[in-house]
Amino acid sequence: MSTTTVTAAPVVRPGRRRAKRDRTLTNYLLIAPALLLSVIVVVIPGIMTAVLSFTDWSGASFDNINFRGAQNFVEIFADPIFATSLKNNLIWLALFLTLPVIIGLATAWLLLRRGRMRTVYQVIFLMPYVLAPVVNAMVWLSIIYNPNGGVVGALGLPGPLSSLSGALYAAAAVDMWHYWGFLTIVYFGALRQTPMEHVEAATVDGANAWQIFTNVYLPSIRSTLMLMFVMIVIFSFLAFDYIWLLTQGGPAHSSEVMGTYAYAFAFGSFQFGKAAAVGLIMSAFGLVASIVYTVMSRRQLSQR
Amino acid sequence: MITWKTVASATAAAAMLALAACAGNGTAADGGGRQDLEFWFWGAGPAQQEVMNEVLVKGYNESQDKYTLSVNFNNAVDKNIQVALSSNKGPDIVYGSGPSFSAQYAASNKLADMTPYAEQYGWEDRLLAPMYESGTVDGKLYSLPNSLINIGVFYNKTVLADLGAEVPTTFDELTAVMDQAAAAGLYPSVTGNKGWKPVNQNYISMFLTHEAGGHAVYEALQGTAKWTDPRIVDAVNASADFYKAGYLGGDDYANLNFVESMQLLAQGKSPFFIGPTLAFQFASDFFNEEAGNVEDLGFMPFPNVNGDLASPSFTLGSTASLSINAASENKDGAAEVIDYMMSEDFAKEMNKSWPGYWAVPLKDFNLDENEYEGLSKEFVKAIKETSTGVADGNFGFFAGTFLPPATASALTDIDGVWLGTVTTEEFLTKVQATFDGELAKGLVPPVPEPTK
Repeated sequence: MSTTTVTAAPVVRPGRRRAKRDRTLTNYLLIAPALLLSVIVVVIPGIMTAVLSFTDWSGASFDNINFRGAQNFVEIFADPIFATSLKNNLIWLALFLTLPVIIGLATAWLLLRRGRMRTVYQVIFLMPYVLAPVVNAMVWLSIIYNPNGGVVGALGLPGPLSSLSGALYAAAAVDMWHYWGFLTIVYFGALRQTPMEHVEAATVDGANAWQIFTNVYLPSIRSTLMLMFVMIVIFSFLAFDYIWLLTQGGPAHSSEVMGTYAYAFAFGSFQFGKAAAVGLIMSAFGLVASIVYTVMSRRQLSQR
Repeated sequence: MITWKTVASATAAAAMLALAACAGNGTAADGGGRQDLEFWFWGAGPAQQEVMNEVLVKGYNESQDKYTLSVNFNNAVDKNIQVALSSNKGPDIVYGSGPSFSAQYAASNKLADMTPYAEQYGWEDRLLAPMYESGTVDGKLYSLPNSLINIGVFYNKTVLADLGAEVPTTFDELTAVMDQAAAAGLYPSVTGNKGWKPVNQNYISMFLTHEAGGHAVYEALQGTAKWTDPRIVDAVNASADFYKAGYLGGDDYANLNFVESMQLLAQGKSPFFIGPTLAFQFASDFFNEEAGNVEDLGFMPFPNVNGDLASPSFTLGSTASLSINAASENKDGAAEVIDYMMSEDFAKEMNKSWPGYWAVPLKDFNLDENEYEGLSKEFVKAIKETSTGVADGNFGFFAGTFLPPATASALTDIDGVWLGTVTTEEFLTKVQATFDGELAKGLVPPVPEPTK
């Protein structure tokens, strides 16, 4: 004879069940506007972009639209200009993962050790970041990089934006100049969260400034560093505005990036299907970076 | 306590509010009973906007009492119009870059068939045949070019005199003077594509006209010759040689735009600015009474590189095209405005204070340069010469106006050949492949046939 043990179900009073249901409903209502906006502005156009990347849509109307299969992607991957633009995005990524990060960390560290005028310095460092890209680009294009009457001209140097080998780096310099102040503020905020007891303990143990920075501060801001790295990776593959404003991908496509490549298809050649395909490729890189970040974050959380 | 019933009622109320807000935007009519007409234009400078408001807006509005025209100036007008047309919205009068733009939108039913208005107003008889025909698609009119342009050479008479040189009349004389200028520490010529890469199309179009000949390009556009035709190869190579010799802006082609080039020309930093006649509109900032150098500026058509071609010849183009939005509720009014802009009186008034942009392509344009002053005089002379050239069939094609859009974009990559990153063969093979795709889709606009 078998025996079955019956466990009594937990008793939930009807009033508490209704309250829980109402709280869930309230939660849904509160996130509904943001969710609706995301779906309308991001998800639906995203799905449309993915679908249109397999067509020859001209952007003018949906009347004359034909499915091309993977032909857009085949043509893009076979185009030497795409290879150049992908290479330039990788160069852009390498530049942004190093120079502005190092400058941002260094200035954040210096700000940390500064008692007075900290806020004034932060405002000055953040100024290029809050100015519109058009304004920044015009300043550099017309005043700094101008070989006729600009700083470059006064120094007797050739205009860097007309150089086949230098145009990309000249454009990157402007974007890095615009961006590093933002990193300074982010890293400065993160560095200030480091528990002072750890710093004091290291000082008592005889650590010098460099040892304190690398062994106490850096580990404590690791999650901020990781997050900014991922953001930099994503934005590097989406780079567009400074390149477009300064060189439009020229001269002779030497500073072309995937963003300008896609833009030229869309608004220069009425080939929105191909532009959508390039957009999808750009997003794929960003997606990989996001997945890597998520995996690393989860691993970090599970180790705690 | 929030229940599903509450949520449903709130959603219904919100939806009704949203619908009520959207419903209100019907036909706009102002208090005086006039219908509104909208025209979007590029972000012209303040002085130019004033001229347009005075001559076009005020002039048109005071000439009739049925419509009120307003013009919206914005530098991103071409992108704005693309997006607006795609969603069946936008201005009544559509400003475009030329027949290649309008062919694309006509094929997508975004532009109104203007043939009935052409018959009503007699546009076909009024305008130069090649320019009128270029706006047709399958025999129906979808756009009109607002202005004739040619690509040639602006020169500074004082700089030439200082160099001891005459105004050149042949290609060899032109390059000889440029060599002299370089030796004297000046720019051989000034021009550049800073901020707008499609400026490259001016120079490849110019060499296609003056080396290959307009008819070679015409054959390529009909599909009866290839873009890899030896005549076109020679034109591409000639443009590359010209660039490499420093004759296009020296080393600063990518660092200069038309405004800066005109300024450098006025400052005597170069004897020549090679560019389209629309650059006259930038000249008045630097060649003016205040600077005392108005008489210094001259313009000549670019000389033929290929001596076998008829001379002078002209690279024909238009600054813009005018069409009617298929979604407009006031098409009659839009046609009236376009007719107003295609008149001699309008052209005369606009050219007085805004030379460069308004050479309306009229057949019998009674252009007497003595009726004009200063830069307008030189501009009118340039346009008169171009009109004669068009009537004689001695012309080629500006890519931005007459070529289908992706092919024109492919020609923008000519700087790859100039800088040695691609060969002429690779460049023209790509142009051919791009053109074949657009020909198959029926996107090549009808173009006038030049003399062979």
